[in-house]
Amino acid sequence: MNQENFVEVKNLRKVYDNGHVALEDVSFSVKKGDLVCLLGPSGCGKTTMLNMLAGLLSPTSGDILFGGKSVVKVAPKDRQIGYVFQNYALYPHMTVLENVMFPLTVGKNKKTKAEAKKIAEKYMQLTQITELASQKPGSLSGGQQQRVAITRALVQEPKILLMDEPLSNLDARLRLKIREEIRTLVKEVGITTLFVTHDQEEALSIGDQIILFNQGFIQQDGSGQSFYLDPVNQFVANFIGNPVINNFEVNLQNGKLTNEAFQLDFANDIAAGDYTMSIRPENLEIKEDGPIKADVFDIELIGREKIVKVKINGEQYRVLTDLTVDVAAGQQVNLAVKGQKFFLFDRSGKRVF
Amino acid sequence: MEKLKTGIAWLILIFFAIITIYPFIYMILGGLMSFQETTIIPPTLVPKHFNWSNYTQVFKQAPFAQYFINTLIVATTTTVVSLFTSLLGAFALVNLKFKGKKTIEVLLLSLLMVPGEAIIFTNYNTIAQMGLLNTYLGLVLPFLTSIFYMYYLRSYFGSISDTIYKASMIDGASDWNYIWRILVPMSKGGLFTVGLLSFISGWNSFLWPLLVTNEDSMRLLNNGLTAFASDAGSQTQLQLAAATLTVLPILIIYFIFRKQIIRGVVRNDLKG
Amino acid sequence: MKTNQKKAWLFLAPTIILSAVFSIWPIFRALTMSFQGGPLINLTFNGISNYQYIFSDPEFWTAMKNTIIYSIFAVPVALMISVMLSWFMYSKLKNSSFFETTFFMPYVTSTVAIGIVFRYIFNGDYGMLNFILRFLHLPAPSWIDDPSMSLITLIIFGVWTSLAFDIVILMGALRNIDPSFYEIADMYGATSREQFWRITIPQLVPTLAFLLTMNIIGAFKIYTQVYALFNGQAGVGNSASTAVFYIYNKFQIAGTPGVAMAATVVLFLVIMFTTFLQRKLMKKVGDY
Repeated sequence: MNQENFVEVKNLRKVYDNGHVALEDVSFSVKKGDLVCLLGPSGCGKTTMLNMLAGLLSPTSGDILFGGKSVVKVAPKDRQIGYVFQNYALYPHMTVLENVMFPLTVGKNKKTKAEAKKIAEKYMQLTQITELASQKPGSLSGGQQQRVAITRALVQEPKILLMDEPLSNLDARLRLKIREEIRTLVKEVGITTLFVTHDQEEALSIGDQIILFNQGFIQQDGSGQSFYLDPVNQFVANFIGNPVINNFEVNLQNGKLTNEAFQLDFANDIAAGDYTMSIRPENLEIKEDGPIKADVFDIELIGREKIVKVKINGEQYRVLTDLTVDVAAGQQVNLAVKGQKFFLFDRSGKRVF
Repeated sequence: MEKLKTGIAWLILIFFAIITIYPFIYMILGGLMSFQETTIIPPTLVPKHFNWSNYTQVFKQAPFAQYFINTLIVATTTTVVSLFTSLLGAFALVNLKFKGKKTIEVLLLSLLMVPGEAIIFTNYNTIAQMGLLNTYLGLVLPFLTSIFYMYYLRSYFGSISDTIYKASMIDGASDWNYIWRILVPMSKGGLFTVGLLSFISGWNSFLWPLLVTNEDSMRLLNNGLTAFASDAGSQTQLQLAAATLTVLPILIIYFIFRKQIIRGVVRNDLKG
Repeated sequence: MKTNQKKAWLFLAPTIILSAVFSIWPIFRALTMSFQGGPLINLTFNGISNYQYIFSDPEFWTAMKNTIIYSIFAVPVALMISVMLSWFMYSKLKNSSFFETTFFMPYVTSTVAIGIVFRYIFNGDYGMLNFILRFLHLPAPSWIDDPSMSLITLIIFGVWTSLAFDIVILMGALRNIDPSFYEIADMYGATSREQFWRITIPQLVPTLAFLLTMNIIGAFKIYTQVYALFNGQAGVGNSASTAVFYIYNKFQIAGTPGVAMAATVVLFLVIMFTTFLQRKLMKKVGDY
């Protein structure tokens, strides 16, 4: 079996009956055992993608291969997948144990009751929900329901686990905890996992690979680090990173980047013209002789760092600094770009530097 | 002033409550009176002693036991089968995607507006041509599905998140598994209410059985009752006893399940 | 999914087949039969003579007139009483289901059985109603046996039977009114009378429109009440004949199915027209 292209999506296109094009032309592949995040803003097509992987939707054109075999014509139940829904979709009239046992008691590979119970209990131990066995989903907390949903997905011993925004119904603190648990669990089981989320931080923190969708296209496909350090276009740069990236409209001419507020030397062979210069907040620093004049209007503490909010030429920007930097609202400061840590995007959003 | 108004409101409520209940009480007690007591002036309220023999008399004069069994068979069959068929239809309309779904929905919905009285006579003709007059099948056949209940159940099923259906598909359940192991247990309340309403209307049906049966052995309670009322002539107490026999089973069901029944009717009709 | 197609039709098949045979086919059949004469087993085309017959048949006009009078009186009266009773129940004893349970009883009970009971309550000589009327020194007419009274008797019985449904639906609607409306009105010092006319009634308008039209459509189809009250007759000398009664008599008793079907088509059109008006009305009310 091909380990590198365990899941392969080729030129997938999905047009809904109402004419809405959810996915234009999507291709990617996933390595066996990886945890892959399908990331994107809402309506970008990532859930459509997941539903087609599951077989809940059929593609308009293109192909999906699991382990080298096309599954487009295979029914969901025969695809050897597990699926965790955003709202968990637990059967409310069954106990936790019955919910987990359900996949083992229907369909072709039906197990005997005793066998099913044994397998169910094994996985319930793994996800630590054994003591909830006789409870109904309605009486469980969000985090517990989440675990039951994952257990039910795993119990069929699927080859691929699909998760649709599994953390979005949890509160912020629990979300951090559970996302780590999920990563640990799927690594322990060794299952290939595709995880849909709109939260870039979540994707960066748990994904071995991230695929960023927007408007029916894949914007970038790679490791979390590459997204941050090496965005391919303006959309990726804007979407990834918190606090969000700072964008300046600049003009490049004669080795100089010019803006109404500043001028920077930039020796390069890039064609002259108008560009967007994007600088991450941490790549701006407050420096006595910095070339950019800025007015500080607010300071936001985020633990061991702080965000200095400034206005440059009337526009708002953010600078991420150490707590030790002494600065207060109302002050005027000079900013400098660290090294050449910025990106340049042309008018179409394509990165040129 | 406010107290007086409340008092008047109470009086009016009690007055109408008496008007509503009195016929039932009169029916039950009248069925236990002697003939003299039913026709005396001033009217008797409570009989001196309960003439249970009225009931023996009723059973002797007309095959009420047979009517009873017939009604039970017909009401139960229509309820069970129509619940089953409308359940399947509602499931298809809620969970399955297929070509022509909109068309079939509009068609069935517009059939809801067709008044039963406008088609009942031609249906009689159909049943007669099928040679099903005076048979159980003829009595139940047109009522083995109910578009009305199908739409009722559709609204019930529609409130179940569609991810539950998707989850069951991924879990390997067939549609049949989904219906019986998930949909039905999750909609028990709704199905039960629909069942009750269907049973009650089956029990009380009158015009259709009047048309398709003319043999005494195939009559339902209501038809048997009207026939008996004509035949028994002026034996008021026997007519009231027979009426009690017809009404009492439903009243008992009603008192046990009044909450579900009332809620079901409200839900039904506000949805239109 | 493509495989769903066949399956879906399979699930819908029982309903579609039964509806086709017992709901769609009879409409067309009734229409063709209305242009045919002769007995059921030997129907022949006779043009519009059935329609000519019913429109010149005084019995048909009596039946239609009675049906319309019944709808005009029984429906609004029942609705007004229901609004009053529901409002009393709702405002005075919100959580007690005793009265609601009581008032709903007639809905579940057999009209035929209860009609027999009413026949004796209405009895001119020894009925309870006339006993009370005489006691109060009021006129005590012969409710059942006097042809001039039979329509009034039918209306009273009709009101009695339809209160149940109206009250239960109205109670449901009343409970759906946001209670904070009343709390705010209380803060502004609105009396309960003002609250009723300025909050409750406007909020009930859609429900009232729904009940009004539903009941009128129901009234057009009235049959069982008549049969039960007058012991299988349409009152003395057909004085309480209704549209469906006319159809039944022409179909089953007189053996002229063509005539019956012509009357059915007319009734059908009247009901469809009312339904159409209902839709319009509900749409308009819904725009509020």
